Amino acid sequence: MDRAEILKTLKSPAKWGQKYSLWAVYFCTGCGVVEIPPVITSRWDAERFGVLPMATPRQANLFLITGYVSVKTLGAIIRTYDQMPNPKYVVGFGSCPVNGGMYWDSYNTIKHLDKYLPVDGWIAGCMPRPEAIFVAVVHLWQMIDKGIATGYERYKDNYEYYQTNQRAILPHLAKFAGAEAAPGRNS
Amino acid sequence: MMAASTVTRIVSIAALPVVGFLVGVLFLGLSRKITARIHRRYGPPLYQPIIDVVKLLTQKENISHGILFDLGILLGLAGALITMVFIPAGGLRPLSASGDFLVVLYLMLLSPLGVALAAGASENPNASIGVSRKFILALGYEVPFLMAALAVMTRFQTTSLLEVVSCQEGSVLDWGVFVLPLPAVATFLILPAMLGIRPFDFAGAPQEIASGPMVELGGKYLAFAAIQGALHTYVVLALFVDLFLGGGASMLTFLAKMLAVFFVGVCINAVLPRFRVEQGLRYLWKWPTILAFFGLLIVALRLE
Repeated sequence: MDRAEILKTLKSPAKWGQKYSLWAVYFCTGCGVVEIPPVITSRWDAERFGVLPMATPRQANLFLITGYVSVKTLGAIIRTYDQMPNPKYVVGFGSCPVNGGMYWDSYNTIKHLDKYLPVDGWIAGCMPRPEAIFVAVVHLWQMIDKGIATGYERYKDNYEYYQTNQRAILPHLAKFAGAEAAPGRNS
Repeated sequence: MMAASTVTRIVSIAALPVVGFLVGVLFLGLSRKITARIHRRYGPPLYQPIIDVVKLLTQKENISHGILFDLGILLGLAGALITMVFIPAGGLRPLSASGDFLVVLYLMLLSPLGVALAAGASENPNASIGVSRKFILALGYEVPFLMAALAVMTRFQTTSLLEVVSCQEGSVLDWGVFVLPLPAVATFLILPAMLGIRPFDFAGAPQEIASGPMVELGGKYLAFAAIQGALHTYVVLALFVDLFLGGGASMLTFLAKMLAVFFVGVCINAVLPRFRVEQGLRYLWKWPTILAFFGLLIVALRLE
């Protein structure tokens, strides 16, 4: 951890802040609710890495999607992602968001999360150990350092692609604020 | 001579917000570290709040909810800044005049008001609930606090904070906590409510109402709210030290006294759960109010 290296900090304070202050909004869609709470509390203490759980997407810049993603929760996940301010990072946790996992044949879950949202990193396993979150966080630091954790830019550049995929299974999804005003809201 | 004192005054007016910000942020970092150690965790580094503020200020996107939202946040920050230049801090006493205690009592409500305006403009139901809880909390602690303040003003026969501090300058036994034990205890009991920490953190409860008034704040708005929170912590602690712990001859003793008070508050914060709204109000209007009332009565009847 080079958190205390003053020269490196002065070179890019923004990167320093983005790296060591990852505020997470975690989406325990089904699995993961056993692994995440010990990580953020006394047993594994994510706060020493600067990772804090946040109550709202407006305050967060790290989005942990743990476990399978059903069609219904995908809508909530997309809405949450759209509300987070840039730069923001998405980490898929567990094998279900990666490729469907044991829900491969399910009628009600999606198989590949990165068809609907830009994912910066994956943690494979069913379920991964809580330590895997720290491995992911350290890996994310390296990606931010190299400037390749740019999922939020990919989302803007390829919005048509993501939107088409989202609309294919969620026809009534509201558009995100940057594209145009969502229907049914007067602003 | 006159010019020199004016220059000193301007410099200290400019310096005090910086001091207050640094002290508030450092205390915030300390509180996170102490809380972590009480929970048997390692905890974040001491300067983690600075990393957080830098992160929030350098965020590429800042979501506004209208002009009132922007102005509310600025009003909150300005309210905290203007309150703190009225409070004598160790050797620094920038804007002290007769009656500044009354001014501080009014100005302390300015920053919650600014946050309330911003929360109202964000049109989030959680924010509205948080604001109403915040004002219920303020209603709870203002009653005992005003009684304690009145006892202090009556006992020292002044409405100037500077004179309150200079009245306590003799020995340790001249401190407000020994001269006015009941109001001091009452004010200490309501300190967690004034600081908004547990058991009185229901106004910004993350688990119930998604951090209340802060729910729609992100990016630099959240950074300004965090800075305002740090300044508010400084203001409340400095006021307590000035009123009951004899202020401080130098900045160092002043900060040491503030740290001692804050440490006790953090320990309470780390181990206690959260009151419900009506439990908090019932507590605040019971024990601290009774103590402050009898303290005021004793002072008023000259029975001490």
